[in-house]
Amino acid sequence: MARHLGDDWVLPTLDDWNRPWFTSGKIVAQACEDCGAFQQPPDEICGNCQGTNVVFRDCSGEGTVESVAVVHQAVHPWLADAVPYAVVVVSLDGAPGVSVIGNVLNREPNDVRIGQRVRATFEEFPYPDGEGADGETLRIPQWEAV
Amino acid sequence: MQKQAIIAGVGESDYFVRGRATQTEFQLCCTAIRNAAADAGIDIADIDGFVSYNDQRNDPLRLARALGIKNLRWSSQSWAGGGNNAAAAVQMADAAVSAGYAENVVAFRALAQGQFGRFGQARGSGRTMDGDMAWKAPYGLLSPAQECALHSARFMHDHGISQEALCDISMACYANAQRNPRATRYGKPLTREKYHASRWIVEPFHLYDCCPENDGASAVVVSRAERARDLRSKPARILAAAQGLGPMYGSSAFQPRWLGRMYYDNVGETLWERAGVGPDDVDVAQFYENFTGPVLISLCEMGFCKPDEVEAFVSNGALEGPDARFPFNTSGGNIGEAYIHGFELIVEATRQLRGESTCQVADAELSLVVSGPGYAPGSALLLAKD
Repeated sequence: MARHLGDDWVLPTLDDWNRPWFTSGKIVAQACEDCGAFQQPPDEICGNCQGTNVVFRDCSGEGTVESVAVVHQAVHPWLADAVPYAVVVVSLDGAPGVSVIGNVLNREPNDVRIGQRVRATFEEFPYPDGEGADGETLRIPQWEAV
Repeated sequence: MQKQAIIAGVGESDYFVRGRATQTEFQLCCTAIRNAAADAGIDIADIDGFVSYNDQRNDPLRLARALGIKNLRWSSQSWAGGGNNAAAAVQMADAAVSAGYAENVVAFRALAQGQFGRFGQARGSGRTMDGDMAWKAPYGLLSPAQECALHSARFMHDHGISQEALCDISMACYANAQRNPRATRYGKPLTREKYHASRWIVEPFHLYDCCPENDGASAVVVSRAERARDLRSKPARILAAAQGLGPMYGSSAFQPRWLGRMYYDNVGETLWERAGVGPDDVDVAQFYENFTGPVLISLCEMGFCKPDEVEAFVSNGALEGPDARFPFNTSGGNIGEAYIHGFELIVEATRQLRGESTCQVADAELSLVVSGPGYAPGSALLLAKD
């Protein structure tokens, strides 16, 4: 599918800590097996108990918009055709205390409100050649208002 | 060993619109430091330490050679984003001087973005972005304005704060800048109509909610208190300084329990305890305003009012002029005077205690600088008349 901010727009550099989020085609969050706490962004150690048994858990794929900022000024030339667009913070159902950055694809920017319930959708896109993970497919989580 | 140090001298270069500096960044930096030493009446060769913050390009070794420093006893820098650690730079200079590791430590900031490119600007021609940016950039979240907008929008939503409160912050900075011939916005008054008619940068920030970008340098010399009688200018006593950090880093700051907060309550708690005074005792305050919204948050977190009261606290010209109910950003601040990553606010706070501000608060005895928020960690500085 076409990407919300344009197919030329930048992609995440995949690493061990963001690969599940950007490629699994599921909404996941990092949890600590020792204390049960969730955290975002993922890291090598649990910020709650300092345990290292951190794993990724599947979430329901639904969430709530916690904040929204409508961007009017493109801060990069590649975004000139994308503005105005809304950046949202979405808290994840099933991962208490965790939220992520995203976009709401099925609403005009000024129709996205704090408290809006959203469901995940995914932008499938080939990982660019020469960026160290050739052949992988990105499934970038995005959101639709429900 | 605390409360031993003073700001013995202050110095600035000229301030320029971004890209229009007539000197290089390093030359601007040396100019500000030379002016600070001259203001203090201290031989430049006797400066023996340098402190800055956030990846300062003008490193102490190059400065020492250029300025003819005899013995560089101290150099340090804090980790942090933006201008949040301007006060922390003074704090570290205080620590070095009060502990006796050095005698005359310069804290400074210099930037010439025409020479080096825009600070905080999204860059890169590569297709991918890594680290913390990987979580934000693919969704179009790139700039400090956008990140502060997300925090501000939630804070405004939770506490019923209108756009007028943001306008009040910008209006105060512009009004005070009209008294300051050095201000880059001098002669360019702002009206509420002009504010509301200006374009959106990122909602809830209009153009006038965002500080301009400038080129220039400012510096202070921190020395031991007993030097005060030998100095050329009136010193300001460093009553307290504080750094503070909440459990947030990068995109973790957007977790629900931290959204709309900046953890300046941590900074305030440390500052007021060390100083032995409270918010009500402050005569004049300089608040770092990269964007207006975070000022509302820091006013509350520093203890000046409750979130539900902040709109009333800033309204009806409460922040404008020397006789303001709450004298605020008297030089015009980042928005009205110049954005030297917030270090110019330290110079203005010192001027207030000397009676040299262009928006002078009568009998100012306690002068506060809140160097943020925007990005953790933050810092604050409380100066007292000597």
